[in-house]
Amino acid sequence: MFMCPGCKLSSALYRFAAAATVLTLLSLHTVACAQNVSVFAAVSLNEALDAALVLFERPANMRVVPSYAASSALARQIQSGAPADVFISADTEWMDYLAERKLIDVATRSNLITNRLVLIAPAASSVQTEIRPGFGLSQMLGDGRLSVADPDSVPAGKYAKAALMTLGVWNSVERRLVRGENVRAALNFVARGEAPLGIVYRTDAYAEKKVRIVATFAPDTHRPIVYPAAMVAGSRAPAARQLLDFLRSQRARAVFEKHGFIAVR
Amino acid sequence: MRNAARMAAMLNIDVTKRLGDFSLNASFTSDSGVTALFGRSGSGKTTLVNAIAGLLRPERGVIEVDGECLYDSLRGIDVPVASRRVGYVFQEGRLFPHLTVRGNLSYGYRLTRADQRYVEFAHVVELLGLGGLLDRRPGNLSGGEKQRAAIGRALLASPRVLLMDEPLAALDQQLKAEILEYIERLHANIRIPIIYVTHAIEEIVRLADVVVIMAAGSVVTAGKVSDIMGRPELREQTGRFEGGTVIEAKVVSQDNEYGLATIAFNGGQLVIAAPDAGVGHEIRLRVRARDVSIALTRPPDISVLNVLSGRIVDIHAEGGPSANVRIDVGGVRLLARITRFSLQKLALSPGQQVYALVKAVSLDR
Amino acid sequence: MVFLTPTEWEILALSVKVSLLSVLITLPVAVGVAALLARADFFGKSVVDALVHLPLVLPPVVIGYFLLLLLGRQGPIGALLDQYLGIVVAFRWTGAAIACGIMGFPLMVRAIRLSIESIDAGLEAAARTLGASRLRVFFTIMLPLALPGVITGVLLSFARGLGEFGATITFVSNIPGETRTLPLAIYSQTQMPNGDAEAMRLSIISIVLSVLALLTSEMLVRRAQRRSHGRDA
Repeated sequence: MFMCPGCKLSSALYRFAAAATVLTLLSLHTVACAQNVSVFAAVSLNEALDAALVLFERPANMRVVPSYAASSALARQIQSGAPADVFISADTEWMDYLAERKLIDVATRSNLITNRLVLIAPAASSVQTEIRPGFGLSQMLGDGRLSVADPDSVPAGKYAKAALMTLGVWNSVERRLVRGENVRAALNFVARGEAPLGIVYRTDAYAEKKVRIVATFAPDTHRPIVYPAAMVAGSRAPAARQLLDFLRSQRARAVFEKHGFIAVR
Repeated sequence: MRNAARMAAMLNIDVTKRLGDFSLNASFTSDSGVTALFGRSGSGKTTLVNAIAGLLRPERGVIEVDGECLYDSLRGIDVPVASRRVGYVFQEGRLFPHLTVRGNLSYGYRLTRADQRYVEFAHVVELLGLGGLLDRRPGNLSGGEKQRAAIGRALLASPRVLLMDEPLAALDQQLKAEILEYIERLHANIRIPIIYVTHAIEEIVRLADVVVIMAAGSVVTAGKVSDIMGRPELREQTGRFEGGTVIEAKVVSQDNEYGLATIAFNGGQLVIAAPDAGVGHEIRLRVRARDVSIALTRPPDISVLNVLSGRIVDIHAEGGPSANVRIDVGGVRLLARITRFSLQKLALSPGQQVYALVKAVSLDR
Repeated sequence: MVFLTPTEWEILALSVKVSLLSVLITLPVAVGVAALLARADFFGKSVVDALVHLPLVLPPVVIGYFLLLLLGRQGPIGALLDQYLGIVVAFRWTGAAIACGIMGFPLMVRAIRLSIESIDAGLEAAARTLGASRLRVFFTIMLPLALPGVITGVLLSFARGLGEFGATITFVSNIPGETRTLPLAIYSQTQMPNGDAEAMRLSIISIVLSVLALLTSEMLVRRAQRRSHGRDA
């Protein structure tokens, strides 16, 4: 190959580089040939979906690869051509957004589960309140901030904003927010004690030991928290349909319910 | 080792320092105005000067200047650089490029306490001819202008002693002569001790009273210029050193038409190309051994203007074609260098009365 | 308003404010550290050097995370600051400035250090023989001659701060008017259903700002170099 008089190191390096390249290409090929199902799922589904996937009976060379992020972020990535096979959103709006752009297979769309919205505080906090119209949320914050997901784009934040507006306290706290880029970020700020209060899903509060639920928002203060699931248009994974069917199955539902979700019948 | 003689000296230097492979172990004292440090490059001159300035800390030793102890390893004295009041003129000048000449000159001046100042700004500017340069920046100065500014800057800090590290090395011949004059003027005007590092004999001859010869990090010998310069056996240590005689004389008369002057010294009178010094002034002159010829009788019809009568003191024949003959002329030991052949042919021997011939044109400064 | 909406002006002003503060607080530290690394020799020098370069190689999110741990209201330093000085930086623009400052610190130090190293140390020695203390030498000789490097460092760090995202969003979150600097605003727009147009506008503002910063740097450096090299400027 390349002759470099006197540089023994250089030719050894070439051999190594060549071997590494071949191995990488081989493994990529293997991965590509394997049937991978890529699931883009709202971050609040993290633990529940991981647990459910363990029960999924899949063929030997198939892997299910979940990606968790805010539904807004995932929808935008799918719009930009990200290779997802299944999309599970935390609200209908982002699923509609993709449907409008013909980016999902509408025939496969259905609602999986629902959730509830809760007001949380750090585990060590002893704050008490009832959620009623006009309740003193702003006073309860003191000089701290209310931790929510970004109300402009993330479903959890949008639900929170809707609820607070319904209760007539949005204006008093609008300037006192910490906007997480997804609901888990909002959860973490409260868990670390950086924010005295936060609004997240009930399932998130269950998943995090360092927070406690102060009160639950009545479902009529916001639109129903519904998690639709669908196949992404143009997905080439035949097992995607199987996965969707599994997620609607009784076994999967049981797992979701165990984590605090409410299954849709 | 300290003794009464050392304590009274203006300069008392004894420095030991190792730098990598090089070992400096130099010691000398000097009472004079201008002490020259002479030696080949690498002999340790600059290292020694840096130690005196405080830029280098010796391993042991003593540095005393003008009665003040700047460093004494036994007593644990080590005065920091900024407090030593040692003026340093570097070979490259090292003017601050972002300041004007005026800014450079006043840098040290402003840092000197008023009661310690012995020079004033205007005086130094006039002495070194810096008037027209004050608002210029170092980037716009010629080599000679830079050196004058560097000297002025060091002076204006009212130092106890002036260190000059081969200040003329980077200049061409003409500039060298010009700056040399400024330095002479300076020495005449401001009586502070000067340590002058050089490897150029001409500079030593013109400026120095005492010369310290260094080689391989040690002092080989030290003494008055007129003594040391006449010793051919030092040629080995000093490399390009060439035998000669230093004569101290006074200008007696001048011949403007022919551009000549007559100078008188202990051994008689010499006619030389007219120097800048006027009648009555003292000058110092070097007579190179190679410019001195020997005759047994006073030669008639010869162009040589200087014929001096004297007696041979001793003869050194080195291996090779030449021999050095020392002739006593009125108490002054004149060194002549001739071929061994001529030595033989004229049958010269110590004690013999001879004539020393020196061409007037070879006696220039 | 001219070209930009009031919200856009607010975002721009916040970004500039945050970057300016970040540069102001890091400059004295960077100059000191750069001088130390350039001229001094001490035990542990390479460790200091590595620490200085850490923000260059660590993921910004990691930096933001550690800032949160340390300077958050519950963090060891943050709690002390709050208790004794009443200073809170979590979720404040001052916190964003700290994040930007740390990310830009290595750039500043490198530029200044390079500049100091290119100064002839002989000039400093000369100044000392003239009676100047080390501190005086630093201020009258080193700093003026290192000015081109200082300017470069400041502007590089400023531009870097303008673009800082990961550490900022992790440490002080994304609060409009308080910590939503240009990059965070652009990010928010990309997450919204129809934010593309606005994201593009903000991106262009961001580019223009960065180019301006770099051009200014060039011009100032050239002028400073002329002056420090002795040419009558």
